[in-house]
Amino acid sequence: MNRRPLSLTLLIYGGLAVWLVLASLPIVWTAIISFRQYVDAFSAPIKWVAPFTFENYTRLWIDKEFYRNFLNTAFVTVFTVTISLTVGCLAGYGLSRYRGSLGFWLLLVALVFRAIPHSSLLPSFFTIFDALGIRNSYFTLIFVLVAINQPFTIWMLRSFFVNIPSELDEAALVDGCTRFQAFRRVIIPVMWPGVVTTGLFSFLLAYNDFLLSSALTNADKMTMPAAIANSISAESEALLMQGVAGAVSITIPLIILIVLFQKQIVGGLTQGAVKG
Amino acid sequence: MKIRTFLQFVSPSVGLMLLLLAIPMATTFYLSVRNCTFDMEVVKVEQTTPFGKTESLTQRAKVDASGRAVQVCGFVGLDYYRKVLGLAAGDAEDTPAASAPADASGAAGSTVAPSSRASNEFLGALSFTMIYTFVTLPFVVIFGLLIALAVNSTTQRLRSVFISASLLPFIITPVVAALSIKWLFRDNGLVPHLLSQADIQVYWMAQAWSARLLVIVYGIWHTLPFAFIVFYAGLQSVPQDSLEAATIDGATRWQRLRYVTLPHLLPLIVFVTLIHLMDSYRVFEPVIVLTQGAFTTSVQYLTYFILLQEHNPYKASAAAVLTLIGILILLIPLLVKTWREQKGGV
Repeated sequence: MNRRPLSLTLLIYGGLAVWLVLASLPIVWTAIISFRQYVDAFSAPIKWVAPFTFENYTRLWIDKEFYRNFLNTAFVTVFTVTISLTVGCLAGYGLSRYRGSLGFWLLLVALVFRAIPHSSLLPSFFTIFDALGIRNSYFTLIFVLVAINQPFTIWMLRSFFVNIPSELDEAALVDGCTRFQAFRRVIIPVMWPGVVTTGLFSFLLAYNDFLLSSALTNADKMTMPAAIANSISAESEALLMQGVAGAVSITIPLIILIVLFQKQIVGGLTQGAVKG
Repeated sequence: MKIRTFLQFVSPSVGLMLLLLAIPMATTFYLSVRNCTFDMEVVKVEQTTPFGKTESLTQRAKVDASGRAVQVCGFVGLDYYRKVLGLAAGDAEDTPAASAPADASGAAGSTVAPSSRASNEFLGALSFTMIYTFVTLPFVVIFGLLIALAVNSTTQRLRSVFISASLLPFIITPVVAALSIKWLFRDNGLVPHLLSQADIQVYWMAQAWSARLLVIVYGIWHTLPFAFIVFYAGLQSVPQDSLEAATIDGATRWQRLRYVTLPHLLPLIVFVTLIHLMDSYRVFEPVIVLTQGAFTTSVQYLTYFILLQEHNPYKASAAAVLTLIGILILLIPLLVKTWREQKGGV
C-alpha cells in the first residue's frame, strides 16, 4: 500500500475525535451535572467546576425508593431473558433442522411481527388484560416482552444453530437418542456463544423498554425507565435533578455490559447483516 | 427433521406469538370498528336546603346490580377512522366511557395535552415520521460509512476504543438518551451556553422547528453507531487481493474506494437502509420526551396518546390499524429481499 498523506491522516483523526466527543457528550455531561445542585447544574453562565454533592442520588434511591424500581427491572429482565431463550432455543433449533417450507413461512411472519410498532398492540392489550383483570402484573409484562422478543430471538438463534453441523446431532440420533435428547445432550453444550449473544439483545430489549412498561404497570411495579418518565416534564428543580441521577443510574449497568461483552454485542449486530 | 418433531419444537414460541401478537393484532381490527358508551339516564334530583326544596334534572350513568356502570357497545363502522384522518366534523366530544381507570395514564400522565390538535391527526403524525426517516437516513448511512472507513485505518488498539465509545449511544435506554439530550439543550444548559458565545439565542424546546430538529439530532446520534459497526464489519471482509491488484494497476485511493470497497459494501448499505426505515417508523421516545407531543407527533406516539390521554381504546385502535397498514407497506422491500435470499440460499 502507498503511504497515506499527512493531511488525510489529520482529517481522519480529527473527524474521529469530533465523533468521540459528540457520541459521549450527552451522557458525560448528564453524569457531571448529576453530582451538582440544581443551581450549579443549570446556570447562566455555565459552571465548568461546581461543588460535589451526592444528594440527588440519596434522594432518589432512598427517599423516592428507586431501589424498588431497580428490583422490578431486575425481576422483569431476568425472567424475560430466561423464558425468551428457553422458548427461542427450541424454536431456533427446530427451524435450523427442518427443511420444509413451513419453517420459511414462520420466519417470514416473524419478520413482520418484529417490525410492528409496539403501541399498536396496546389498545387490545388494555381491553383484553382489563377484562381478565391481569393488567398491572409482573408476569403480564414479562410475557408481553417475551412475545415481542420472540421474532428477533428465533431469527438470531436459528442462524447460530445453522452453523452447528447437523452431523453432530444426527450421529446422536443414530445412536438411539430422541430428537429432544439429541438437542439436550449434544446441541446445548456447544450452543453457548450464540445463546449469550442472543441473551444480551433480549436483555437490552427488556431493560430499555419504556413504552410497554409505562403503559402496562402502575407506579409500584414500574421498571426504572418507566419510573423516571415523570422527570420528562418535571416542574420542580428537585424532581428534575432526581431524574438526572436516575438517568445515570440506568446507564451504569449498560456501560458495564459494554465493557464485559463488547465482542458479543458487535458480533450480534453484524450477524444479521452478514447472513441476511 | 419430521414435521411433527418440528411442530413440537416451535410450538411454545408460536403459541406465545399467536397469543400475544397475532390475536391482539386481530383484536385491534375488531376494536377499531366499535365503540362503547355509558348508558345514560336522566334523573330528577331533589335537594332539601334550609331555603326550601329545589328540583333539578341531571344525567348520570346507569349502574347494574354490582354498581358498575352499564356500557352499550356497538358497531360503528369507519367512524373512528374518519376522526383520526380528520374527515369527520366536530370531533371534540368523542371521549367514550371506556372502562380505563383514571390511574391508567401512569407515567404518561406527564404528557402535556395540547388543547387544539390538528384535525388530521394521523396524517400529521405520519408526515413527521416520514420527515424524520428521510432526513436521518442519509446522515446515518454517509457518516456511518465515513466513521467506519476512518476507524478501519487506525491502529488495532484504537479501533476497540472507538467501537466501545460508539456502542453506548446505540444501546443506551432510548428514554434516557432523549432526556440527556433534552438536558443538554435546556435553557441554561450546555449547548445554549456555547451557542450564546456565538450570539445565537434559541429556546430549543419552545418552538416547533427546533423541537423537531432535536428529535432528528437524537435519531442520528442514536442510529449512527449501528450503521458504523455494520459497515466496519463489512470492511473486514473486503477482498485484499482485489485491493492490491487495483493498487498495482495504478488505482488512486479514491478509485479503490469507489470501485472495490463500495461495491463490496453495497448489500450492507441496503440492509442498514431497510432496518432504518423499519425502526424510524417506530420512533417514539424522543417525541414524547423532547416535544411532549406539543409540536410534533409520530405514528407510535399518536396511538399511545389517544389511548392514555383521551382514554379511547376504539379511536386508538383505528390509529393503530392505520399504523399497521403503513408498516406492512414499508416492509414489502425487506420481505422481497428475504424471500429471494431464502429461496436462493436453501
